[in-house]
Amino acid sequence: MSVVQDVSTFAGSVRDCFTDAGDSQSLVQDRVDAAVRSEALPVPKYERSDLARRNLAAYSVAGPERAGDWRALAEPFIGADDGHPLLVIADGHVVLTRGLEGLSGQGVVFTSLRGAVREHADLTRSLGTVVPSDDRLLALNAALWRDGAFVFVPKGVRMERPLQLVHVTTTAGHGTFPRNLIVAEADSQVTFLDAYASAGDLPDELCVAVTEVTVGRGARVKAGTVQDFSRSVTSVAVRRAAVDAAGEMDWVTGETGDGFGIVEFGSELDGEGGRSSAHAIAIGTGRAHLDLTARMVHAGRHTTSDISARGVMQDRANAVYRGLTVIKKDAHDANGSQTEKLLMLSPKSRAVAIPMLLIDENDVKCGHAASVGQINPDQLFYLMSRGVSERAAKRMIVWGFIDPVLAELPIDAVRTAMEKVVERKLA
Amino acid sequence: MSIPELKISGLRVAVDHKEILRGVDLAVRGGEIHAVMGPNGTGKSTLASTLMGHPKYEVTAGEASLDGEDLFAMGVDERALKGLFLAMQYPSEVSGVSNANFMRIALNARRGEGNEVPVLKFHRELKEKMKSLSIDETFAERYLNEGFSGGEKKRNEILQMTVLRPRIAILDEIDSGLDIDALRIVADGVNGLRGPEFGALIITHYQRLLEYIHPDFVHVMMQGRIVRSGGRELVEQLEARGYDWLKEELGIADETVGAGA
Repeated sequence: MSVVQDVSTFAGSVRDCFTDAGDSQSLVQDRVDAAVRSEALPVPKYERSDLARRNLAAYSVAGPERAGDWRALAEPFIGADDGHPLLVIADGHVVLTRGLEGLSGQGVVFTSLRGAVREHADLTRSLGTVVPSDDRLLALNAALWRDGAFVFVPKGVRMERPLQLVHVTTTAGHGTFPRNLIVAEADSQVTFLDAYASAGDLPDELCVAVTEVTVGRGARVKAGTVQDFSRSVTSVAVRRAAVDAAGEMDWVTGETGDGFGIVEFGSELDGEGGRSSAHAIAIGTGRAHLDLTARMVHAGRHTTSDISARGVMQDRANAVYRGLTVIKKDAHDANGSQTEKLLMLSPKSRAVAIPMLLIDENDVKCGHAASVGQINPDQLFYLMSRGVSERAAKRMIVWGFIDPVLAELPIDAVRTAMEKVVERKLA
Repeated sequence: MSIPELKISGLRVAVDHKEILRGVDLAVRGGEIHAVMGPNGTGKSTLASTLMGHPKYEVTAGEASLDGEDLFAMGVDERALKGLFLAMQYPSEVSGVSNANFMRIALNARRGEGNEVPVLKFHRELKEKMKSLSIDETFAERYLNEGFSGGEKKRNEILQMTVLRPRIAILDEIDSGLDIDALRIVADGVNGLRGPEFGALIITHYQRLLEYIHPDFVHVMMQGRIVRSGGRELVEQLEARGYDWLKEELGIADETVGAGA
């Protein structure tokens, strides 16, 4: 029996599209609700990053029917087969999986989120709870998410090998809406790595990406993301973790896109003694606009967070770095520190660092440091005085600047891929 | 290899439009060790940084050549590739590149493409050189000068010099902040390079270093000029009588740059 609903044309087409695609009735209903909300909610506001000037209509309800030629885009991030489980999604379709089957012995699930909602409804209940649909774009993702990764690690299981998602967009106009959910039960351990890339010659494309993580009591999750979107992509990515008592969440993010990108990532430290770190590195070239917010919310006692963000801007690239440490009342003995460092390599590049501490509790420790500058002429002189060319010397200085963050990327192949991208951008 | 020659004539240099060097003439040839002495603020370090090409120093008049080629027409890296070396008073720290790798890159830049030093040979020789300079082996893999103490940085400068084997080396107050043992080690490093294909310009305001590195020529700078040149006996005179007798003899009241201008 069908329920007649009075919904907008948009929500109606969301319902039709995802019913046809085989989603469960409850998932379709969640999508329709989100679609309705998306029409009522405002576009998120980011000071210094005006989304209203971007083409936010560059998407359609239905995704591409099939995946385009994805290999060349995905392969640099995959690297040699070192046996780690891998999921590749192109244009919303799973196109390659590797080593997923062997995981079930330990009760670990690593699969596409779309499939997981169908097959493991009990495990995916936290979908939409860590990143609620509280602005138009997040609601749009909740309505239209095509696919993404689902990771479940049961209590006490420690995954040594990282799990990897590679997500590529080969055609434009449909919008790119990845969504990931990671559930780490108490005392478990897992490393998740996701990479996003788009074809270089796309026309306007909207990308809204969401990652939700729940870190159980005493669990440890490490998530490393690399994004390399092309010039005409407008991307908004929100990645958040809810961290239970004594849980640990380490974020690493690398942004090398040429387009207009907004990234917000961080943790909500709800339980006592939780810890989280957020490392970010961005390389901006051309007319790239990168808006990065690392956000740590301390609600539990004895919680610790550490933000370390670096950016290198060249050409006419523009970066806004925010570090946001929020300490709520009664979060005794919380300790939050943050550092934002930006390097401008050209006179037309722009960068601004905005550290923010919002503290509602007296018994806390907080520290912050921010700097925006150019290459130190004394360093350059020193290196060149040994016979190193100006170009090589500058590269050494830039590498030295980003290396501490790059070293945190958990898969060798991805670190190498990232290094190659950086190498190309600095050429 | 020919005998190297660094020639400076009528050199005038300004920093932020203020003239610091006011006509310096000097020639350093292979086989010679020159010491430039003088109180603080007389332009000694300006001479060193200008010759290497620090962008802060503006050459307003005069010229300098290395082996007959115009030094000021060359970039900083070209000067190094031609065999000029400056051991700095305040070496920069650069993270991201290890000490050993940096030296290998610099050495290979000097040797040129196709003539790179084999990696194992490089590391073997580096290890020996570090040992002779009493530098701990772990310093090879540490980031360039990062977290090194003042004395460690100075020894690292000498290590780089012995690795790169320059034709003309300028040592800018390499002795400041060194204890007597470190001083002797640094001096051994310099003395080990002595020969017809190596000339050095040692800038110091203490006589102490010159007890270990015996200069062939000694110059005293005041007010941005060389006011007296001589042999080693000049060091002894300064040791015994300080700079005041010289100031008196020359009729200089204030020896620093800008005074009496």
